[in-house]
Amino acid sequence: MKVAVLSFAHERAETYVRLLRDLPGVDLVTADPDAPPGDPARGRALADRLGVTYLDDWDEVFASMPDAVVVTSEADRHVELIERSGEAEAHVLCEYPLATSAKDVKAIMDSCDMGGVRLRFASPAYFSEAFAAVRRGIAEGVVGTLTTVHGSYTTRPGAGGGALRANLPYLLDLVDAVLGGDPAEQVYAQTNEALSAEPGVESAAVVAVRYRGGVVASFDCSHSLAADGGPAVTFVGDRASVEYDACPRLLGGFDAATGDERREPGGVDLYSVMVKDFVAAFETEQGNGPDGAAGLRAARIVEAAYESARTGQPVHLGR
Amino acid sequence: MRQLEVALIGAGLIARLHLQAWIAAGAAVRVHSDDGRAADLAREFGATAVGSLAEALDGADAVDICTPTGSHHGIALAAIARGVGVVCEKPLAATTAEAEEIVAAAERAGVRLYPAHDVRFAPAFARLHELVAAGRLGAGSVARFLVSAYHPRPWTGHASARSGGILTDQMLHGVDLAYWIFGDVVRVHAYYQGEIATPAPQGAVAAGTVVLTHASGALSQVVARWTATPKPPVRVAFHVSGTGGTVTYDSEWPQEVRVVDGEAGNFGYSGELPFVSEMREFAEAFAGGPEPRLGARDALAAVRITQAAAESAWTGRAVELPIKEVS
Repeated sequence: MKVAVLSFAHERAETYVRLLRDLPGVDLVTADPDAPPGDPARGRALADRLGVTYLDDWDEVFASMPDAVVVTSEADRHVELIERSGEAEAHVLCEYPLATSAKDVKAIMDSCDMGGVRLRFASPAYFSEAFAAVRRGIAEGVVGTLTTVHGSYTTRPGAGGGALRANLPYLLDLVDAVLGGDPAEQVYAQTNEALSAEPGVESAAVVAVRYRGGVVASFDCSHSLAADGGPAVTFVGDRASVEYDACPRLLGGFDAATGDERREPGGVDLYSVMVKDFVAAFETEQGNGPDGAAGLRAARIVEAAYESARTGQPVHLGR
Repeated sequence: MRQLEVALIGAGLIARLHLQAWIAAGAAVRVHSDDGRAADLAREFGATAVGSLAEALDGADAVDICTPTGSHHGIALAAIARGVGVVCEKPLAATTAEAEEIVAAAERAGVRLYPAHDVRFAPAFARLHELVAAGRLGAGSVARFLVSAYHPRPWTGHASARSGGILTDQMLHGVDLAYWIFGDVVRVHAYYQGEIATPAPQGAVAAGTVVLTHASGALSQVVARWTATPKPPVRVAFHVSGTGGTVTYDSEWPQEVRVVDGEAGNFGYSGELPFVSEMREFAEAFAGGPEPRLGARDALAAVRITQAAAESAWTGRAVELPIKEVS
């Protein structure tokens, strides 16, 4: 099957290129026409370094009839690229952050529906076997009746803009999977810029969500100076709680080379699991991961969270 | 590719774990055991039971020896004589002399010999070794390896206190890791506490405290214990330091999934079992793939160091270990 990686703008683009290049049965093409000229980490220079086929513009990419695309462009190009992918009948795996508004996510979803193609969002923790075990356990009643969820995803300051938009979708996807798509009814959020280098861009957000079924969830989406972890969520029921950590500490210690804490992550390479699942789904017509409707539910919560942070009051979400 | 044919000898707990792992690795397995339990074990996993060692070895690519330690030597030599590759549950043999004989025979015959030191396949130790091999710990200084577990069954066999008794198996994990990370050991001192001769009751308590001096000058402290209760069933922790910093681990640190403030029931997730990674790596090597992360030399080193520890505990003297190659 032919897979196209659309743009190298996202910091994970190279991860996808390497994984897809090494997957048997995948014919990989890449394009990065919006790259700044002369940037050695972008465009043809990167493709050559990775030894993969490079096409000069989007027209060439879609004329090459890809079966599937991975969208790793800037968020504000998602709508345009995914509309073209839908028209070209190519399945879509889209990186976060999401298109900038819920309206745009709806447009993406509609173009994939029209093209009859699968739309999945790149939420790696969602794809892990460990998380599948959590979902199964909760469905089988290990925690009793699920009442409360709390989670966190903290990352080092850097690329990706505000911590709320960058980190919240990954947590929402996990909760959405466990709640079977129950939509949010009310969202409250507070933010600050304590660690932010850019005025008006939040470095910390605490978000509380009440879902229609009554489950209450709260999330810490912030930047932190501590070593990176992954999304972690605790599901609390009336009989027990289950803690899921997508990227736990396997080894700790001190690293003299960096003068910093050592943190070797445990678990498996989730990007590899996700990419394999996305490619295999082309054959099996199944496939894991948050779909367009889940992405839209998440985008609505993110939008409401920003509104709540602005107004200082909870925001009700209509039907 | 042709399916790997494995002759599994023994039908106890370790044999069961290995059988499961071989099947996961895609091997065909015939099981033989002279305690009459082979048929039931084979049936449970869709393997074949055979009536004799000779029948098991006939046409096999590899034997996997999961019998009590005392019988490893005879079975290994029988397999090597037929050119059958050998996987052997640790320790390779009850004495250093027997271990040396097995390794020498395998080398003369050009037969692959892989000891089943499963802890090298557990993610924490595999990652530690990767870091050290990549130079990220710098020159090794000092390490401590703490291994404790509850033995859920009575101990059978007749291992004397002088031979290390029930501490040999437990100590082997720690010294194998110390040797893997810091290399050859030249001096060993040990204190062994508890009623360590076998037979011994379920839940027998014992502790071995060992100091290893490595050829590089690095030092290791290994404390291997059998505990009175299965809370937790197994606990492993290490702290390794060098000029590049430290690496630490504790099996009590939560990993991906954990149930708290309630009963977990059967719910759990632990990732791929080390046994499965181990047998897959051995299977690939038998099929002509790359050599696995450990071989005959490691099996022999682990027996030499644990036997030196038992000797030190018995005599009260530190034991020098000359670095010698297999002749």
